[in-house]
Amino acid sequence: MQRRVVVTGCGVVTAAGTELDSFWNALMSGTCFIKPLRNFSAPDLEGLMGAEVDLPEADDLPEPGDHRRSRCGQLALAAARRALADAALPHGSEVRERAGVVLGTTLGSERQVGDLSERWAVHGPDSVDAGFLARCDNHSLAALVAERHGLGGPLMLCASACSSGNAAIALAYDLVASGVADAMVAGGADTLTRSIYCGFQRMGALSKSICRPFDKRRDGVSFGEGAGVLVLESLDEARRRGARIYAEVAGYGMSNDAYHVTAPDPNGEGFVRAIKQALSSTGTAPEQVDYVSAHGTGTQYNDLGEARAMKAVFGERAGRVPISSIKSMIGHTNGAASAIEAVACALAMMHETIPPTANLTEPDPECDLDCVPGKGRRARVDHCLNLAAGFGGFNVCLVLRRAT
Amino acid sequence: MTTARDELPSSSPVVITGVGVLTPLGDKLAAVSGALRAGRHAIDTGADLGGAGESRINDFDATRYANIRGMRIYNRMTRLGICATKLALLDSGLEAAALPGEELGLVTASTFGHLDTLIEYDRSLVTAGLQRTNPAWMPLAIPSAPGAVIALSFGAKAFSITLSDGGVSSLDAVGLGARLLERGRARACIVVAGFAICDELSLAASRAGMLAPAEEFRVFDQRSRGTAFGEAAAAVVLERLEDARGRGAEPKAFVHGYAATFATKSSNIEGSLHRACTGAMRASRVSPAQVALVSASANGQLARDRAEALALVAALGETAARTPVMAVKANLGDTIDASGLLQSLAAVTALRSGIAPPIARLEQPQVPGLRYLREETPVDAGYALITSLSLSGACSALVLSARHET
Repeated sequence: MQRRVVVTGCGVVTAAGTELDSFWNALMSGTCFIKPLRNFSAPDLEGLMGAEVDLPEADDLPEPGDHRRSRCGQLALAAARRALADAALPHGSEVRERAGVVLGTTLGSERQVGDLSERWAVHGPDSVDAGFLARCDNHSLAALVAERHGLGGPLMLCASACSSGNAAIALAYDLVASGVADAMVAGGADTLTRSIYCGFQRMGALSKSICRPFDKRRDGVSFGEGAGVLVLESLDEARRRGARIYAEVAGYGMSNDAYHVTAPDPNGEGFVRAIKQALSSTGTAPEQVDYVSAHGTGTQYNDLGEARAMKAVFGERAGRVPISSIKSMIGHTNGAASAIEAVACALAMMHETIPPTANLTEPDPECDLDCVPGKGRRARVDHCLNLAAGFGGFNVCLVLRRAT
Repeated sequence: MTTARDELPSSSPVVITGVGVLTPLGDKLAAVSGALRAGRHAIDTGADLGGAGESRINDFDATRYANIRGMRIYNRMTRLGICATKLALLDSGLEAAALPGEELGLVTASTFGHLDTLIEYDRSLVTAGLQRTNPAWMPLAIPSAPGAVIALSFGAKAFSITLSDGGVSSLDAVGLGARLLERGRARACIVVAGFAICDELSLAASRAGMLAPAEEFRVFDQRSRGTAFGEAAAAVVLERLEDARGRGAEPKAFVHGYAATFATKSSNIEGSLHRACTGAMRASRVSPAQVALVSASANGQLARDRAEALALVAALGETAARTPVMAVKANLGDTIDASGLLQSLAAVTALRSGIAPPIARLEQPQVPGLRYLREETPVDAGYALITSLSLSGACSALVLSARHET
């Protein structure tokens, strides 16, 4: 028998804030945190823009397991710590022994490889040290979180490119719903890397300024770093222990474009299948959807495909369903993006407000949707969709609804 | 002690209908099983590793197996995965059945499969600069790349998920694939796993003292001095039994139950693997007495092998001393992401043939109380318990059978 699954804890570390309140207030104001980069550079690229996280000092303290710690791991740990504190998951060993971790990442250990590349240029094979293997093992991102918090359940690292965060939440949902685990810590983390900046630059998909999802002038992605983590529990257990419930994870849909290694299906056919499966598997009618959190990367192809998918799913109502992309403010955080956006969806339900799409001043006529430009909007949200797509074409659509 | 709860309670069991393997001991399951039964191993001294052992597929030519557009720019792990998948699909008869892509899912077990491309790409950015670096490498340099390419190659449109769970990846992938089939997310799911030798990883492991000299690589043995990496890929096609029978496909194995745990400070590897084993048996509604064979994860690292042996003694209880234990890493090396799937396929072949292979070169077991196989040994029909451990402390266990045991 399937158990109902709810969100009882949220944690984010983003350029817009590292606590839920500051993060939410910043989003609602429509402030763009994509700025000239201070702590990161890439060869042959000048004037790079992105959204960097200022981690509080307390998140920078060395802790056990630090030999494997990376910037990405640090972000994951910081978001997980906040989510578990927010959920107030009991410390009893039996509870935590049956709680697991599923994290997603697009890039994971790329910075560790980057460090090696620089040493290799000088020292050759002597630059490979004994810790390289552990640092390149992305599974250690999830292990660091589980170790730190004494979580003894399933431990998985989902690498599904930029839909990794949503995929991790979907996998965690199944584990709780089917009773394999009593609670799951799920989300994603990623940081800024040389390879992704250089790769997007060569593909012509890196914005020259700031990303403008659904805008006629959009010219590509702006990257950000960050992490988003949610604590999922069964509804019964959450109620039994009196936990605060942000939202119910009603279920999910998934699809794969199998169209191209990098380009999405221009017609959004994969998006359509993922959304329709999400709606049908959760018994949600299209007219019940109050808000869609878009993948909204600011590339020509993605935004157009997403707009076409919205029209295919919602028909005449497509232009009246609010849809927004918070990547316009915190950048595209790759494997963390949809996890952070899932937190934003949960907060939208709680605060009865919808986050905006920033930098959207000249709407693309082909993306004629209600993209909530500028600032946040008061609106009751009972059902929302969180969309994500990744390189290779794997799409995941989560359905969150008000827990009743 | 609590245990993992039931998983895979299925109205229609999930079965394996197609198998593909690429290993240094052969590219057909029968050939690999024959080599295992003969006690042959593929461990040799690795180049530039100071005498440490490793196992490589020396004559791999992807074009012998599959004709995929763009194959030449894909790295070795991706090519191995494509070829293993092609073999599994052929074996299952699913290609001929022309299953719509929307009904075909893919779960890829790959932790390090992108790494050589990422290293080459990033090193080129540093040394040659942006304009002289091949831009086609970037999308192939992320962890999901091998899976994305395999999904694209075979038109898997239901889902394409990559698990990077190190040594437990492929058992986790089978557990996930089975769960997604049970939920009706696809009619068939390919699970593909692979590991290609990456020189930088081998160097790091060697410098960490993890690798044993080739001639001293042993598993479960008190004289073992470390592990050896092995190159391999394996793929299976999973289907619900009713779907397989509906198209006249013969099940090659039945997936009964799976459990996964993590070794926290309070439970350690031994306790965590014990929980995973008991969880998988309980999920399968199988008692220790019904376990006819254990296909163990032992990889030659003394502490891990010891913890695994102790966990098996505890999980099997009074039947531990009479339940045959095989361990194919002794022959193939530690194939990391592929290891759980290779252990599974070797175990199912042993159950089907009624003969289990010996553990190569095992002479002095460090933990008593288990029936380590020292020669080809008859095994009863029944269930196989497969175990996996990861470097980061995760433990997974899976229960399979060759026939529909009741």
